[in-house]
Amino acid sequence: MIAPSIPPDVRARLRRLRLHARGGIGADGLGQHASRSRGAGLEFVQYRAYEPGDEPRRIDWKLYARSDRYFVREAERDSPLAVWLLLDATASMGYRDGADAARPSKLEAACLLAACTIELALRQGDRFGVVALGGSAPLAIPAAPGARQRDRCLLELARLHAAGGWPGEDALRPLWERVAAHALVVFVSDFFDEASLRLAERLAAARREVVAVQMLAADERDFPFAGAHRFVDPESAVERRVDAAAARADFLRRFAAARADLARRFDACGIRHAGHVLDEPIDAPLQRLFGERGAPRTGAA
Amino acid sequence: MSAVLLAPLGLAALAALALPLAIHLVRRLELSRTEFPALRWIAERARPRRRLRFERPWLLALRLALLALLALLLARPVLVEAPQAGGPWLFVVPGVDRAAARAAVPDLEAHARWLAPGFAPLDVPPAQPAPLASLLRELDATLPPDATLTVVVPAELAGLDGERPRLAHAVAWRVVPGRMPEAAPAPAEPVRIAVRYAPEAAASLAYLQAAVAAWNVREPGRYRLDAQPLGAPLPEDARWLAWLAPPAPEAQAWIERGGTALAIHQAGTDGEPLWRDAAGRVLARTQPVGRGRVLALPGALAPADLPLLLDADFPERLLAAFAPAAPPTHAPAESMAPRRAERAAAPASSAPASGRPLDGWLALLAALLFLAERILATRRPMEPAA
Repeated sequence: MIAPSIPPDVRARLRRLRLHARGGIGADGLGQHASRSRGAGLEFVQYRAYEPGDEPRRIDWKLYARSDRYFVREAERDSPLAVWLLLDATASMGYRDGADAARPSKLEAACLLAACTIELALRQGDRFGVVALGGSAPLAIPAAPGARQRDRCLLELARLHAAGGWPGEDALRPLWERVAAHALVVFVSDFFDEASLRLAERLAAARREVVAVQMLAADERDFPFAGAHRFVDPESAVERRVDAAAARADFLRRFAAARADLARRFDACGIRHAGHVLDEPIDAPLQRLFGERGAPRTGAA
Repeated sequence: MSAVLLAPLGLAALAALALPLAIHLVRRLELSRTEFPALRWIAERARPRRRLRFERPWLLALRLALLALLALLLARPVLVEAPQAGGPWLFVVPGVDRAAARAAVPDLEAHARWLAPGFAPLDVPPAQPAPLASLLRELDATLPPDATLTVVVPAELAGLDGERPRLAHAVAWRVVPGRMPEAAPAPAEPVRIAVRYAPEAAASLAYLQAAVAAWNVREPGRYRLDAQPLGAPLPEDARWLAWLAPPAPEAQAWIERGGTALAIHQAGTDGEPLWRDAAGRVLARTQPVGRGRVLALPGALAPADLPLLLDADFPERLLAAFAPAAPPTHAPAESMAPRRAERAAAPASSAPASGRPLDGWLALLAALLFLAERILATRRPMEPAA
């Protein structure tokens, strides 16, 4: 997989979008997220010890002259908003629509969506990090700002392949350690696994701002199969032999019911959510979640 | 013209039709495998219906046709030239006076056919003369049972075989003046008479030589005597044999192969009496042996045992004994009107055996079908690659 590149028209539409958390940022006593990210370098907040990965230009050289240590001024550039991209990379996300081989798989679309989100965060000066669950190799990039961080994230995302099942609790522990409270977690998954839904609920309950994007294939929306099929679940290898034409109406009804149930559970714990079908433009869920219509309340917050 | 199967049991091979049907059915049950993450919302109860649908129906049809054709080939179909059913049938024997026939049967020219091989219409000349009795029996066997048969015959018939025809059909036998043309008599072929004699029977040779000489007076050069002492090999082309010696296995074998032999010292034979003397005592008997025939004399071929030998008509008697006169083939037509006989049990079954076999054409068709089947069967997998 090559590094996800954002199509120009999508990039143009992204310009009108802004990532924002729904609330709770003010509790830090550092003012509104909106005002801080816009006015860079207004106020000094604190010195922080230098960490590998920090940009050298952010080191306070005068303080270094005095103390012979590297310190980073955190005042003007840091945003209180950390954006975490939580990608489901289990085998089911490798699904690709049968109708059009050029259409991306669910995971590829998720990576592209992540790239768009990273682009937004970069523009706003927010910190961002990536965690992939399941997949060919464990992937967890700590949150950091800057163009280098973006390139690193995109590079890692390009190496990601869909494989395996939902990871156990041990694999999820770093997630709890790194994702701080009030961080914005963009959770991209198909949410077919009950465990993924539970994780989203727990994150929301632990005061993380969770935004869920459900990746759906056009085949799951339309069920265009005909004739006798042996459907195989890529994760559990369960198989079901059905006559597709006969099963279509029932599948569509049950699948719509499942989606409605999912939406109800998201709403119940205050998770903003959007569905994305693979044949739609990739920025559609972001427009729904962060566009003018999607978040009418943020201005008042 | 109709098709008849000589070996209808060959159609049992049609059972092989089940084979391609089974092949195409089994393939139907293969399901296409699809990875589908949203599997759990597919209801289990929508099982694929096992409809009786066949994949690639054209290929299946070709295969079925091919097998059916092969089964048909096994059944040996022939095309028989049977006259059309129903209606009155009018046949004219070659040799009738056309004017007299027209007077006897008004609508002669329109419907009649020659009673000759092929049963051609009247406006073409009849084929070679063939035995009349045989043609009548063929007609009787091939015509439908309800046909009424009218035969116009000349007053003098030829080509008969000694028996008055017995037919299942009622035949109207119209005799008009005329005479049947006759096949040219076959030229008399030479006859070789082998004589093998024991030394004590050498005296009998003279009588045989005299008889043969008498035959040759009437038919010069036809009969040739081949007299040799015992022990000389029997010539294969000899038709008649005079064995003037005690019975021997080689003579017995020669007779059983189809020869006619005069044998002496055969007192124990109980065959049909051949010659009798004035008192009615049997002087010689004739008996079939194998495919041949023996003219058995109880004693030697000498005047003492057979006084007949000195009679003037002995050569004629001997010739008649060796070559029985053929049954008469000519007869006045009135005396040969066919008699009505009950229909045989299986009248038409053996008759069409002389039909035109269709094997060659069917085999060609089967080969073409096989070629088409191969093309259709092998072309299909290349399509997705293209």
